Amino acid sequence: MRYTLVSMLTAIALTQGAGAETLDNADEIVARANLAAYYAGADGRSEVRMIISDAQGREQRRQFTVLRRDLDDAGDQSFLVVFSQPSDVRDTVFLVDKHVTREDDRWLYLPGLDLVKRISAGDKRTSFVGAHYFYEDVSGRRPAEDTHELVETSTDFYVLKHVPLDPRSVEFTSYVTWIDRSSFLPMKIDYTNAAGDVYRRVEVIEVIDVEGHPTVTASRVSDLQTGGRTDMQFRNIAYDLGIPADVFTERSLRNPPREWLQRPASR
Amino acid sequence: MRALLLLLLLPALSFAQNDMWADDDWDDEEATRSWNGFFEGAFGTRLNDDPLVQNRNTLEDLRWRLESKWQPGKTTISLKADAGYDGIEDDWILDARDLSIAFTVGGEVDFRIGRQVQTWGTGDLVFLNDLFPKDFVSFFAGRDDEYLKAPSDSIRITRYSPVVGIDLSWTPVFEPDVYLTGERFSFFSPLAGGNVAPNPPLSAAEPEHSFSNGEVALRLFRTINGREFAFYAFRGFFKQPTFAPLSSIGASLRQPLGQGLFNAEFVYYDSRDDDNGTDPMLPNDQLRFLLGYEWEALPRFTIGLQYYLETTLDYAALLDNAPQPQYAPDEHRHLLTNRLTYRAGRDRFTWSLFTFYSPSDHDGYVRPVFTYRHSDTWSVTAGANLFAGRDEHTFFNQLQDASNAYVRVRYNY
Repeated sequence: MRYTLVSMLTAIALTQGAGAETLDNADEIVARANLAAYYAGADGRSEVRMIISDAQGREQRRQFTVLRRDLDDAGDQSFLVVFSQPSDVRDTVFLVDKHVTREDDRWLYLPGLDLVKRISAGDKRTSFVGAHYFYEDVSGRRPAEDTHELVETSTDFYVLKHVPLDPRSVEFTSYVTWIDRSSFLPMKIDYTNAAGDVYRRVEVIEVIDVEGHPTVTASRVSDLQTGGRTDMQFRNIAYDLGIPADVFTERSLRNPPREWLQRPASR
Repeated sequence: MRALLLLLLLPALSFAQNDMWADDDWDDEEATRSWNGFFEGAFGTRLNDDPLVQNRNTLEDLRWRLESKWQPGKTTISLKADAGYDGIEDDWILDARDLSIAFTVGGEVDFRIGRQVQTWGTGDLVFLNDLFPKDFVSFFAGRDDEYLKAPSDSIRITRYSPVVGIDLSWTPVFEPDVYLTGERFSFFSPLAGGNVAPNPPLSAAEPEHSFSNGEVALRLFRTINGREFAFYAFRGFFKQPTFAPLSSIGASLRQPLGQGLFNAEFVYYDSRDDDNGTDPMLPNDQLRFLLGYEWEALPRFTIGLQYYLETTLDYAALLDNAPQPQYAPDEHRHLLTNRLTYRAGRDRFTWSLFTFYSPSDHDGYVRPVFTYRHSDTWSVTAGANLFAGRDEHTFFNQLQDASNAYVRVRYNY
């Protein structure tokens, strides 16, 4: 319960007090953005659907429910992703143990074979179920993996440039984020490749307030080279449900936790 | 023909869920019962004639899959069943892969009772401690990978705990592998000194169907800092003729290593009725070891390598008593496997190549598979099962005349 309280207070402090001051420390801005984007509440759930489109306009769709639980704010956390659509990935379950000090652990459960498959750390910049999102985008990139530089402070945004410490582990050479000065949500991210071209863009389309947390409810990832993109929508979002730690174990791969996957009664 | 009509009609009835992106469609998730599945046509044919098997084709399936889940209260009743027609066996398909009820007792112990598919262990298409039934005929004929795992009627009890998880599976009536019978593929017979395809197909006597002949499999497991440790025990029977009594004990480890994943597993097979290895009709005791490493070498391109060793114990006794020692297995059978997977076009295209090669048996098995996912509903899979080797009695090379190519078209609903 202490975590719950602390993170709720942090969240309130962030959302209410942030706009008033102007920060000039890039690491501090990144730390707050990390909290705003990935650590709202002590835990949370959301239903998500994605449309994956290629340049020819062909579409694939995915629908799933995500549960999240933080061990510490800005610290380790767990994610459980349970697919419901389309039918050939239905009941596939994805579990992430995100670590701050080492590589994340990821498992995928394939119900047809009753197989618990492990996903290697090297796959983190690989497409998540065919989307333009990466495995790493689901749970967030560790701030400590990049250096951060504040390049501009506009009326609405902090604009930061990030350079990876280990360039061989990623496909970009740098990326630029536009972080909302009041919510601290990264509203746009442009990734630049070795040729100096912006080839990938993540944009937030819609933010609403959910239980006091500014929350992204629509976003888009565009592949600027091929013209493909993935649109995401989030619905039925709730925070601080009190999801216990043992929901994020092998047990939930075989038996998805219905109690926590079902929609919360309106609060 | 009636079944075919049914198969053709059903897509029209298939629960128009395609419009899930419509803005008001989020409610679908709340349904307590769901209906899903697929229709599939599959065709495969031999690359060379098998003089022993008349039918040149190896796969002629028309299949309707129905999957449903019903969740009254805190229990889950699940159904996964196939209906259709198998042109090679000239028989109807009517199989339940899953017909089970799952519930939790005391908040901690999960029960699943009924027909179900079960899997554990760390190998990729190589099984040591996983002694649940497998369907090698489907695997060699080019059916979807999921059919390699055959269902069994079992009671599975699992208690998850951060200290040690306990997973117990009891199969009251012995469930064998789906093994080579000569109906679809001929197989090597030491008695005949060559391949045979008996007609009627081989039907080996199974252990008497009594509770005392039930099978019990146990797994204890724990994950510490991303390292997965497991300990296994089994008491039952070898899954293929002659279904000799078998007990086993083993362990496995799976963990990240560098940018990839490392796994190691071993098992000791105790052939209970042949302790000294002197009975030529029964398998000897064995030790089996597996080492594996998998990593993403390039974006979307994954390489998996495995080394597997099968050591037959009491080997001198085996040779002394074997009526045909020339067909006896090697004391140390080495097997190397290699899986290459490449995905492209938002996972619409998947190229996969799985290779088994045994340097001691001088034989191998290559499985190229290409999948094109046209849409969320339509997909096409084409592949081949290619067997080769030096000696006619070795595991893969006995299937040389079974080498085949196949194509499957699937409509998901």
